[in-house]
Amino acid sequence: MPGILSENNNALVPFSPEVRDPIVYHLHQTPKPPISRLSISWSRGNCLLVSFFRTKTPSSESEANSEENSDEEIGGKVVEVKLSSENGEVDDVQRRKIAYGSVSPFALLQSRKISAAALPNMLMGSSNRIDWWQHIMEYSTDIKALLENSKMPPSSVIEDPMEVLQIGEEPTSLKAAWELLEIFYADKQAQPWLPERLVDWLADYDSLLSSTMTTVHSKLVDLQKELVNLPAIEDDPKYWEGLSSALAVGWLDIVVKLLRLHGSYQLDQLGNRETENGLVEAVAVLVSKMPRMRSELDDSVLGECFKSKPDFMKSWEKWRGQIAKLECSGFWIQCDHRQTREGLKNLLQIMLGNSNILNTVTCHWLELYISNFLYIRPFTMGLEGMYSLAQKCMQVKPLSNTHCLMGLIHGILGDNIEVVLAECSRSFGPWMVSHAIELLTAGNTQAEILLHEERYNLGGISIEELHRLVYAQVLSSHPLTWQIAPVYLTSCTKQGMGLLEILLYKQPVIHNQLLLKVLEICRLYDLYSISSTIMKIAGVYHWKHGRKGSGVFWLQQAQDEVRLNKIAQQLFDFVGKPISDNSFKQWEGLIELLGSEARTAGGLEFLHKYRDFKKSLQQVQDGKAREAAQQAIESLILLMKNPSTPQRFWLPLLHDSLMFLNWQEQPLLNVSQTNLLLNKLQELSIARMRPDYVEADLPSQALGSVRLALATNLGRAILKE
Amino acid sequence: MDNNLELSMNQEIHKFPQSKYVDAVRWISPLSAFDKFVVMAVHDTDSNVSSIDIQSLNLSNQPTLNFQSSWSLTSRVSSLEVSQTPNKPIIAASTFEGSLHFLLVHPVDVSLDSELSVTENSFHNGPISGIDLLSNGSGCVSVGEDGRVNLVNLGDSRLDYRRIFDSQGLVSYTAVKWASPTEFVTGGLGFSLQWWDQRKPGGMVSQFNGGWACGDTSGIVHSVDIHQSRKHVCVAGGSLGTVFAWDLRWPQQPIILSGTGSNELAAHSPSASEVWEVQYDCYKQSSSISNTSSARVLPVLMCSEDGVLAVVEQGEEPIDVLVEPCAINSLDVNPQNPSDVICSLEWESVAFITRQ
Repeated sequence: MPGILSENNNALVPFSPEVRDPIVYHLHQTPKPPISRLSISWSRGNCLLVSFFRTKTPSSESEANSEENSDEEIGGKVVEVKLSSENGEVDDVQRRKIAYGSVSPFALLQSRKISAAALPNMLMGSSNRIDWWQHIMEYSTDIKALLENSKMPPSSVIEDPMEVLQIGEEPTSLKAAWELLEIFYADKQAQPWLPERLVDWLADYDSLLSSTMTTVHSKLVDLQKELVNLPAIEDDPKYWEGLSSALAVGWLDIVVKLLRLHGSYQLDQLGNRETENGLVEAVAVLVSKMPRMRSELDDSVLGECFKSKPDFMKSWEKWRGQIAKLECSGFWIQCDHRQTREGLKNLLQIMLGNSNILNTVTCHWLELYISNFLYIRPFTMGLEGMYSLAQKCMQVKPLSNTHCLMGLIHGILGDNIEVVLAECSRSFGPWMVSHAIELLTAGNTQAEILLHEERYNLGGISIEELHRLVYAQVLSSHPLTWQIAPVYLTSCTKQGMGLLEILLYKQPVIHNQLLLKVLEICRLYDLYSISSTIMKIAGVYHWKHGRKGSGVFWLQQAQDEVRLNKIAQQLFDFVGKPISDNSFKQWEGLIELLGSEARTAGGLEFLHKYRDFKKSLQQVQDGKAREAAQQAIESLILLMKNPSTPQRFWLPLLHDSLMFLNWQEQPLLNVSQTNLLLNKLQELSIARMRPDYVEADLPSQALGSVRLALATNLGRAILKE
Repeated sequence: MDNNLELSMNQEIHKFPQSKYVDAVRWISPLSAFDKFVVMAVHDTDSNVSSIDIQSLNLSNQPTLNFQSSWSLTSRVSSLEVSQTPNKPIIAASTFEGSLHFLLVHPVDVSLDSELSVTENSFHNGPISGIDLLSNGSGCVSVGEDGRVNLVNLGDSRLDYRRIFDSQGLVSYTAVKWASPTEFVTGGLGFSLQWWDQRKPGGMVSQFNGGWACGDTSGIVHSVDIHQSRKHVCVAGGSLGTVFAWDLRWPQQPIILSGTGSNELAAHSPSASEVWEVQYDCYKQSSSISNTSSARVLPVLMCSEDGVLAVVEQGEEPIDVLVEPCAINSLDVNPQNPSDVICSLEWESVAFITRQ
């Protein structure tokens, strides 16, 4: 990938060549010089591993500082450097929270997509399309809820009359960006009143832009601070400035609140400023009666809302007429207060759409843009019209300092999906892109083709898949979020499954809990071959680390006959040594684990029978003679008949059974049984000639005494029969 | 379904994001019992720091968890238990490195006072998978994958331990629970359970072998619980959504309460995945006391990898208490007020449920 990134013109991932200021990280606990070599490599996530290799210090020097660093600095040291993220607005914890929360909405939308695609085309009528918009909006609302910075502070019950501007929790650019995408791409119901949605959007997020420039919001914040100290606010030009700015961007409730703070409302002044007060109130009423084209149900804003265009136009004309009438009214002459007169006239000019005044009272192009919508071209419709207006505004008020949201707005208005994606990726990262694509492709055929088309230069995957894969890689790199990466990987049809396999194989198998979580993911996505490989890895790991039971368990789960047989050979080495009662207790559990014969146990099923034999042997020794002895003989014959009984156990088994062969009362073995054992003994004698034969740890005359006992028993058995 | 709906209306669920991974969570009941207190074992993956935190649960209309005190550990916690004696609460935590720590909690101001610990290599080799404290806090039994069973005696300011059994890795134990001050039960691989009696040394007294799992797949017991009043019955939860009861009076016939391993129950099993923890649900018991005969297994709360917290009861439909998109890794029923349940979720948060 780095090779491709350096060639900028066909970069896979939008890559900004801007050189940012270098960030300096200070390393603590670095070893003392001399350092001969330094190696830097990527660790998990955004961690760098810096390895220091020291040259071997001469003995004199090492003695000198042996006291302080005797053990740690012999060969060198590895230091981990955590690179902080670029976006300071959302920290790691918050980002993880967003990642967790977006899993369910994303998965739900994907499954709905699949079931919608399964429907025959005929059924995809208009009602289904409406349903689909509802699904998209549901998704968008769920995601938006995650982006809240935190809970709102409890608002005080008593309203402060001086508080014109409510300053809540600082909004985030991420949420602002998401809301923009929602307005333009997802919320189809709001299409007719798009400009009004932008008005609301700016009201919520103008404060974000204040960080880099003056805005109406920052002006009002300043004004609010001064309000308390001003005895007669109407004398202050800032009051009127703030009023007209707020009116220009359509924050009507603030305008009305501010107007009602006018000195002429005070009881002691009402008498001699009657006309003045009348004019202020008239303007306030006109402001609050402004016709707006938006959902009638929405009562959160001031103004009269109209849903249909004819109604709106009618009342708009009427309203304009009222303003014009007030402008020409004779009362203005009777108003002595100059600032009030001029300020109010200014407000009327704004409402009449005087573009010069609008230019002066707004701070940046977006505010100017909004004011144009509200007062100059209230009937603007369609993206094209909006775009040309935006370009005009940008000419009037060019931006020197670009905020990340500005580029996004520009891309959206220019109807350029590539720019929108690139801006999302550059400013907000992989999470934003992979989730926002759902909004971009909703019902936009052009975008759908662009983003879903399989591209040769991307290795045959689509842009959508590419971004999902990138996001999944980010998730995979953190120990807490790797578990949600499969949700995104499985939505990638081309390369998702391959990467998922790699991800699952990479997880450590050391702890059972994590291992089981990995296996659960395998189960969910039907990855049985992977789960069996992982179980094998776990089995070998546990076996190697001395946890024989766990090793056998996992290999059994994986049905790995080959390894179980190998393991069996090693286990027999332990069992082969004469085991005391005490150590046999330890074996009990393992043998129980091996379970019945139906289960995969490889050569280990021998152990089960061996245990039965040992048990009866013990019972005989405890004095429960007769039946136990008979049982022991049966187990012995079963063991000797079974091909899985290793040869090296034959002699120890027979040696252990000597007392049955020499049973006092009567011969316990019949002729055929004795013959079987004699045959085995013969086979064993031949096998002893081979060089790879392992001698059992038994007295040297063992073979002889077994042979003698068998011969004797044979004689007695023949006689008895 | 109706039943489900009814229940969900009668309970309140609050979630508290933690910004750290919550390994385990338990109620703790000190003397100053106006507030409810929760102890949790948390792990910060970014700084690789593990700690035991005590938080108080403030139940106003917007409940909050408020940090009280914390004690940092050198390794991640594998198992967490609390002895509920109000005048001398003790927190026991075992780690993946094989050490066992006892934290003494100040009974009034609920701060972590001091620590006693066993860190010797000879104690456990590798992770300790389960511990259980005697209710008076005087003893703690610990088991591990290394096959060791250890008993720690807690004195006033010192402790000593002795090995009860060592299978040398031939058998791994994954869960443990006291039945009485001398008897305890362990669980392990292959759905096995073992009954131990300190008065009979040299190994376990009785063993149950869960060979009833279907086909070639078996599972691991992750959690065991024993009711104070019926020590002969223990319930165990493990792989494949399995919850079963083992009655010592009929040791070869497990009573399967849920799980996909057995055919009749598979359709009704609330979970098909690992059951991480089981606990007797004293709350459910009190509501349906009329039809609890001594032969029946009491209702059990379980939580699972596929995000289900449910009550399962012999011969009844399971009732979902909480369904999450992520794993529920541990749960605890408040011993002082059984309607309260707290559980830890995979996605760095804790959920508190109160049933009315």
